[in-house]
Amino acid sequence: MKGRSLVVLLIILSVIISCRNSATKKGESSFASADSISFGEAQKLSAEAIADISRNIASPVEIANLLQEMNVPFSPEYLATSIDAGTQKTEFDKALTLGILGADLGYLNMYEKTGSSIDILSSIRKLAEGINVGQFFDFETIKRVSLNKSDLDSLLFLSIDSYTRIDEYLRDNDRGHLSALMIIGVWIEGQYLATQVMNHYPDTLLRDRIGEQKIILNDLLLLASPYCNDYPKFTDLCRNLREIRDKYRDIRITYTLGDPVSVEKDGGLVITQTETSKVDMTAGQLAEIIETSKNIRNKLLVTN
Amino acid sequence: MKKILFSLFLFFIAAGLSGQPTDPLVSSCLKTSGPNARYLKDFRIQLGKAASGADMRFKANISLWRNTKYRFTLCNTEDSKGKLILTIKDEADNVVLTSYDQKTGKIYPYVDFICNKSGIYQLNFDFENGQKGSGVGVVSMIR
Repeated sequence: MKGRSLVVLLIILSVIISCRNSATKKGESSFASADSISFGEAQKLSAEAIADISRNIASPVEIANLLQEMNVPFSPEYLATSIDAGTQKTEFDKALTLGILGADLGYLNMYEKTGSSIDILSSIRKLAEGINVGQFFDFETIKRVSLNKSDLDSLLFLSIDSYTRIDEYLRDNDRGHLSALMIIGVWIEGQYLATQVMNHYPDTLLRDRIGEQKIILNDLLLLASPYCNDYPKFTDLCRNLREIRDKYRDIRITYTLGDPVSVEKDGGLVITQTETSKVDMTAGQLAEIIETSKNIRNKLLVTN
Repeated sequence: MKKILFSLFLFFIAAGLSGQPTDPLVSSCLKTSGPNARYLKDFRIQLGKAASGADMRFKANISLWRNTKYRFTLCNTEDSKGKLILTIKDEADNVVLTSYDQKTGKIYPYVDFICNKSGIYQLNFDFENGQKGSGVGVVSMIR
């Protein structure tokens, strides 16, 4: 009798575990009526092109790493804590906010402020469920690893992988507009973080990293462009992105040539790039980028 | 019987609680990246045997940023016919790194790249001699 109970228990456990890790077709719902629009006529980018653009966005983890190298202390002031996931009504708002909070999660994780990340994790779960991709965000595992503070790399993997799988699923299921919003949200929040820190802790490396965003801004606009005329909120967002791009227009990135130098070390290969890039940006241009980035990000928080 | 069932029970509990990536290849590859590596992205590659071995078949773009040290760790399943190889090209199509030394035939399991030019780079993956295989390329930052 006890044996039978154990078998039943095992079956239930295996079903729970397999369900938690599976991707269902549940996420293929249409827009909520509030923002119901047709994307059928939009000129869509290929899934590969979107995937490439998504990988080109500077990871908030990389920005947070740079801040740590600069010995910039953690500050909760940079986080989008005013966001209430429960009040995000439309899929537009939910996807964009999911991106913004994803960047904040990367910042918290890198600074190992994992105890403080639970509220953000809860919001992310709510938003992911709101656009029917909750199955890809393993809240319980991420929460447990966060609280244990034992393995930062696993935590980074679990968090980033959840977002990657959400992104892939949205693209594969003709919901590329939500994927685009999520990616844009990540970038806007990462840009806000970098520019706000620059205001308080001026640093050459960070200044250059801000200037170098010019490299990917066109891609970001390309990502949004198929949807810019389809929905008022998207139109506003595209206008905001163009406004930032305009601030970057006169910034110059120049390159010097050089051959890479390779050395074998500990069984691996170490390659030092001697080719370099240099950012020419005036204090005035930087100030305008900082101001515009702040205004746009804060406006999104208010309107969302 | 009870012992077996109890062991299975513990296995399921452990699988649910571990917090490790569910893909064992990614999990083991992450471990080989080293304690100073911070995970950024991974590329899971599964390829059949190439019809011709001229060009590397799996391509993806990635942005790499100046003053950052990246580690590209390459892992493949045991049943792969060849080792996973990575070549990175810049926007001008110049090779900036490769994990395969053509002179010696050596394939490196990881390559550290000290990036001094921010930009968009193309990652090119394939298995040795265009063989069939499954693998993962993990991109990390080194602190």
